Amino acid sequence: MSGFLRRSVLKMGAAGAAAATVTPAITQAMELKLGGDDFHQIRTFQAREKSSYLCNMCPYFDGGFTYSEKGDILKCEGDPHHIATRGKFCTKGLASLFGVTDPDRILAPLKRVGARGEGKWKEISWDEAIAEVGAKVSESISNPDSIHMNEGAFKDGAAKRFMDTIGSKSLLRSRAKSIGNKSKQMALKNMMGEEFIFPDLENSRYLLNFGCNIFETAMPLAQRLSDSIVNNKLTMITFDVRMSNTAGRSDEWLAIFPGSDGIIALAMANTIMQEGLADTEFIDTWTNYSSSELAESLAEFTLEKAAKASGLAAKTIKNIAVEFAHVKPAAVFSMNGVSLHKNGIDAEAACQLLAVITGNVEKRGGNCLPRSYNLAAPTPTPPDVDGGKLNLNYSFPFEVKEGDRKVSVLFNHMSNPAYSSPAASVWKEVLKNEKLVPYIVDFSPFMSETAEFADLILPDVVSVERFDVGSAPTSAWPWVTVSKPGNKPRGKAQDVRETLKKIIATVDNDGSREMKKYWSFSSSKDWVKKEIKSTPELKKYYKKIRRGSWPKYGKIDTLTRKITNKKGDAVKAKYGSHLEDGFPTQTGKIEIPELNWSANERHADLQKNEFILTSFKVAYHSLSRTTNLKLLAELYHSNPLWINKEIAKEIGVKDNGLVRVTSEAGYMVTKAWITQGIHPQVVGISTSVGRSSYGRVAIADREHRASWADEGQIDADIDYNLWWKDKGTNPNDIIPIALDPESGSQIWNDTVVTVMPAKPGDKYGDIKVDNTMHMAIYKKMLEGV
Amino acid sequence: MEGARRSYGLQSPGSRGVAGAKRYGMVIDLRKCIGCMSCAVACKAEFGIPLGSWRTWVKVVDKGRYPDTRRIFMPRLCNHCDYPVCVRNCPTQATYKHKDGFVLQRYNRCIGCRTCMVACPYNARHMLPEKRTDNNLPHMIVDKCTFCVHRVKKGLVPSCVQACVGGARIFGDMNDRESEVAKLASKERLTVLKPELGTSPSVSYIGGDWEIMDEPHSYTNRSAQLKEEFNDYKRNHEGDTFADIIEGEPTMPQIGGHAIGFLKTVPHKAGDVLKAFKIFLFG
Amino acid sequence: MEESVVTFNVFHHVAWGTAISVYFWLVGASAGSFVISSFGWVFGIKRYKPLALTASVTAILMLLIVPVLLTWDLGKPVRFIYLLIPGFWHATGPMAWGTLLICSYPMAMIVYTYFVIKNDQFWARATGIVAIVLALSTHWYTGVVMELNPGRFLNHTALAPLLFLTGAFISGIGLLILILTIQNLFSKAANRIDWDLFIEMAQYMMYGLAFDAFLLFLEFMQSTYGSMNIVLGHEEVLMGVFKFPYFWLEIVIGLVIPFIILVSPLKRNLYAVVVASFMVCIGVYGMRVWWVMGGQYLQSFY
Ligand SMILES: Nc1nc2c(c(=O)[nH]1)N[C@H]1C(S)=C(S)[C@@H](COP(=O)(O)OP(=O)(O)OC[C@H]3O[C@@H](n4cnc5c(=O)[nH]c(N)nc54)[C@H](O)[C@@H]3O)O[C@H]1N2
Ligand SMILES: Nc1nc2c(c(=O)[nH]1)N[C@H]1C(S)=C(S)[C@@H](COP(=O)(O)OP(=O)(O)OC[C@H]3O[C@@H](n4cnc5c(=O)[nH]c(N)nc54)[C@H](O)[C@@H]3O)O[C@H]1N2
Ligand code: SF4
Ligand code: SF4
Ligand code: SF4
Ligand code: SF4
Ligand code: SF4
Ligand SMILES: [Mo]
Repeated sequence: MSGFLRRSVLKMGAAGAAAATVTPAITQAMELKLGGDDFHQIRTFQAREKSSYLCNMCPYFDGGFTYSEKGDILKCEGDPHHIATRGKFCTKGLASLFGVTDPDRILAPLKRVGARGEGKWKEISWDEAIAEVGAKVSESISNPDSIHMNEGAFKDGAAKRFMDTIGSKSLLRSRAKSIGNKSKQMALKNMMGEEFIFPDLENSRYLLNFGCNIFETAMPLAQRLSDSIVNNKLTMITFDVRMSNTAGRSDEWLAIFPGSDGIIALAMANTIMQEGLADTEFIDTWTNYSSSELAESLAEFTLEKAAKASGLAAKTIKNIAVEFAHVKPAAVFSMNGVSLHKNGIDAEAACQLLAVITGNVEKRGGNCLPRSYNLAAPTPTPPDVDGGKLNLNYSFPFEVKEGDRKVSVLFNHMSNPAYSSPAASVWKEVLKNEKLVPYIVDFSPFMSETAEFADLILPDVVSVERFDVGSAPTSAWPWVTVSKPGNKPRGKAQDVRETLKKIIATVDNDGSREMKKYWSFSSSKDWVKKEIKSTPELKKYYKKIRRGSWPKYGKIDTLTRKITNKKGDAVKAKYGSHLEDGFPTQTGKIEIPELNWSANERHADLQKNEFILTSFKVAYHSLSRTTNLKLLAELYHSNPLWINKEIAKEIGVKDNGLVRVTSEAGYMVTKAWITQGIHPQVVGISTSVGRSSYGRVAIADREHRASWADEGQIDADIDYNLWWKDKGTNPNDIIPIALDPESGSQIWNDTVVTVMPAKPGDKYGDIKVDNTMHMAIYKKMLEGV
Repeated sequence: MEGARRSYGLQSPGSRGVAGAKRYGMVIDLRKCIGCMSCAVACKAEFGIPLGSWRTWVKVVDKGRYPDTRRIFMPRLCNHCDYPVCVRNCPTQATYKHKDGFVLQRYNRCIGCRTCMVACPYNARHMLPEKRTDNNLPHMIVDKCTFCVHRVKKGLVPSCVQACVGGARIFGDMNDRESEVAKLASKERLTVLKPELGTSPSVSYIGGDWEIMDEPHSYTNRSAQLKEEFNDYKRNHEGDTFADIIEGEPTMPQIGGHAIGFLKTVPHKAGDVLKAFKIFLFG
Repeated sequence: MEESVVTFNVFHHVAWGTAISVYFWLVGASAGSFVISSFGWVFGIKRYKPLALTASVTAILMLLIVPVLLTWDLGKPVRFIYLLIPGFWHATGPMAWGTLLICSYPMAMIVYTYFVIKNDQFWARATGIVAIVLALSTHWYTGVVMELNPGRFLNHTALAPLLFLTGAFISGIGLLILILTIQNLFSKAANRIDWDLFIEMAQYMMYGLAFDAFLLFLEFMQSTYGSMNIVLGHEEVLMGVFKFPYFWLEIVIGLVIPFIILVSPLKRNLYAVVVASFMVCIGVYGMRVWWVMGGQYLQSFY
């Protein structure tokens, strides 16, 4: 029999080569490598070309590779020896290459021909396009602040430079520049001196997680957490209002009333002080409080108060506090669930306080100061006109409508406010109005809900086609990674930095405005080189950095998943930087702010049908930039409203039945998902789906043909095999604006809605909003300040 | 699991524990699976697997009563069984068990009869649809996980293992006592899917939970959303030679519909036949 | 159990569908008809000789559709040829055997029919014996191809071939009665098949129905004491989505009603017998439907 077997195995032909060549013995290698090479799966195992890639789909900036054959990228993966990434990309990173071949991608400058938002476009040449934009900018250059730039990229170097060059203070942003949100970053900056605090989960044994969905939104941390759960027997406690993947995999998910994290953290801190479990020496030496003062100020935050506000048992909070204080090293992490509430800044500080009073700061396995490189802008830099402030864009449409903001030209880059901002319906109204916003230029490679209203679309390249460099505080060691395009930009797509340079060249065509000198880089590649060369710590290492990732700390150990040095030992990180330099605050100490906690009054006495709406991110999408990627949309395309089973029964909502979700501004009709995994006073809906634009995959309609996509743009797979019909719903039209007065962040997790079974005639996906209500809410909010 | 060394047809005998032989296998540590589904996406990207087909996927179960609840993830893929029913039942020797543990498919031999799909107790096989992004790749035949033999041969771990964020997928030679899989296999409590079927899987799990591993449970406890999605899938996915019954709709008209669907395959298959004739006649 | 919900899973197609169920029915009807045809020439029951030709022609025609149907159902129809290449032939695959049977059985029938037309008793009998063995085997094989899937709980039963053969027998007779009735309508009085034969065949059918019911009962009984899968198979799949083919077609229309007709005085009524035959035929098709698709359906959620 075995002779026969051998023969028949060997006999197979070309496509079966995969098997033929592996007979009889597959490999001699004892240990299989964790990546770093790639081969075609059939064609004679042809090796693929590798090029360094920095994933840009979320602020965690994982470093990896793209692999291509004959100039077509066929795969992305994480760099196994990258100190932070350790070979791991999440689904978004892995699928990002499909943006290149998206059949609905915009491949040439498009000029609007119909009415705004009508969807009629004409392809024009780059020269025409640049001339047109240049003229518009020149027209308004005397009033530079009327030229607006809405920016959503994490690295906004080019946009900022452009605005500084033309002298406009109107640079607005739809997101923070790095991990977190503005409230969280402000809280941390004030307290710790840094905008981000890195939990060294690789070495922790206990994690208190307040409102961060680590397993879905913070992948470099997630992989370390996962290792520690098994290797260090890490205990993980998650406070969340719903059972996210993180909560569902935690040792304990504590379903709390929204916005109560702050008081829970304070009560825990109080308990720890009172039980004598605090690291008083650390408090006395390294904070602005003495331990006794701190104990005193914490005394008012009793377990009873926390229990009342959160709905947890006082005993539970106490037990966790005690356990947390006993297990070392321990880390505390928090994210949007905490800081995107009315009391967000205070609450964030309260969570961080727990790490401080237990001395889990700048220690192995504790909360550490971020380690990353701050890349400088290429020199020479234009004078900074707005002081480098981070101005969030949420009130933009209201201000425009009110006449408080005059707009001549609006540029939009990597941001999609008509989909992802609160009161998105107001954005749409304002963007549509040519009187309010006379001219819109969007650099999006895809037809986003915002780009639809543009007068001109100047398609940027997509992430895998871009030269870039970045660094993020995602490991206990700093690193920097360069991204090199795996293929040439498709069609006529052009890097936004080169586009902006050309616009400046038109605006300052005779050089009289002295603008061109700031745009002296020759290409985006050169820009990246200049970025590195302008950064003091890095400039010496340019030659090494440009190869990919730097520093090279070692190689990954296949067994432990740790980066090891030549001797095979796990590389050691340095901790305790404060011992030498102090904390990066003014005083060198941790500046514990005045301790505060207050509930949102609107959340008291919720009626039976009233719920707090939480809108959350899922692991398989990155806000509005991934819904066109077929593999991700296939995984996740529908976002029913989570509702607690008991309550659903009470209010007559059926599983998968239609519900009407009504906010102060309007309502939407969506499906209900009845679950045991959500607080009874909360309903939840995920973001990223419910697209009205962004191509056939995003809107789940394979028959839909974009007018701008030429005939040649096909992906037979999409056109024949796309099987889902449910595209979800977007809650942002009905979510009214509600900004934190200090940071200007939208307090996403405080929205109150009523939920009831759909009325006769309601159809799935119906959205009805009254923009005058949105306006009234905005005005009321201003008065409240 | 060594048991009797049964071997039928193109099955190499199970090589587990045989000196000098390799037995590649995967241990999936469910304590580490975070449900990120990178594995599924990496696998699809690696092979250009079309929409509607999966070589690997991750099942999710929500269990418990508020607030005592938990979410369980369970990655699934071909088990590369030591006694693979799929291999046994294939009429053309298109699929076979390699002696190092891989159950492989010879695309150029497969006639698309789908016997192996019917035979596989784990739904590990799928039919490749007529249309693919790269139509030079095989279509209208059956495909399955290969344990990434093309990578393993080159000394790389499978794609899904490479991508696994949680570090839950561990791959290696079970016969090599120094390998991580072998170590885990000897010191952890392992379970396999449907052990009662005598397939002897090469994929085993640490920390399994019956609620996600059990077949009847997945049938009876599907969420309403999943049912609706399934029906959408059956309606809209190229399934014209298949027989998907749509829940909640009467069966006989549906079967009539399948007959019509069957007739709809005439054009493209006739095209195949003509092409074959052309090649036969004119080379 | 109640508070444990599968919230995400990917989807799987059911691999074998209508084409396969029609094929099972055709093979069955063919085998059944052929058995009747052989009564006269092989088993020497003289009074059956007049209908032998019709019966074997029916059997041949039914079976000629089969290869076309099956080939077309392949993903790669042209590659059907692989099934016939000795180097590709795989002894443990039931379908490999099935291919041989499906090829040889019609040939044996044709040779047999040739001798029937030639009125050559010796050779008709000799080839008839071969053909009858092949007829039974061909249909036995359809049971086997479903049975040898340990994962498909509804099909994985040693009774499968027997259930298939019984179904073949009754549907073959049913089909023959229908065809002979039509034939009688169009033939001269002298050539008409004797009415008594119809009644006699119908009685065989009745015994077949009784045996079929017995087999179904055995299956049912085992299922109630069986694993969760098979319990579910019966309760949720057969009495759920497949209720129409299983309960209404197979049991009520295909079994209970014809049985009642055939044991009651109605059995002597031409119309009643024709109606009963028709019901048996579609009842057996109902069985082919749930048998092929039901077992796969249950598992496609796993
Ligand atoms: N997959 C993916 N990852 C991403 C992104 C993405 O779009 N997709 N975006 C990146 C960006 S820009 C950001 S800002 C981060 C955001 O990262 P996260 O903050 O982790 O994500 P969110 O989904 O906004 O919110 C986290 C959790 O807060 C919970 N929550 C709501 N209200 C409360 C509360 O009152 N208390 C507590 N304890 N929890 C509450 C929600 O249920 C949710 O599970 O993710 C980054 N990573
Ligand atoms: N309801 C609700 N809404 C939310 C949140 C929430 O929790 N709940 N979270 C908020 C948070 S934390 C954030 S950070 C914001 C993010 O919201 P935004 O900053 O608006 O970011 P995205 O939605 O990702 O939009 C990115 C857009 O950039 C374009 N784009 C994509 N790729 C490229 C590229 O390669 N080049 C260029 N030039 N353009 C590209 C596309 O048009 C895409 O739509 O959303 C917020 N919105
Ligand atoms: S977590 Fe995912 S999206 Fe974010 S940088 Fe890493 S691979 Fe990219
Ligand atoms: S899991 Fe299925 S396809 Fe894979 S070897 Fe086992 S029987 Fe064959
Ligand atoms: S579909 Fe292909 S591999 Fe499967 S049984 Fe048929 S010929 Fe064999
Ligand atoms: S081993 Fe390879 S083929 Fe199999 S599931 Fe993993 S990536 Fe896919
Ligand atoms: S990649 Fe790993 S951790 Fe993520 S879902 Fe797959 S098996 Fe689980
Ligand atoms: Mo964000």
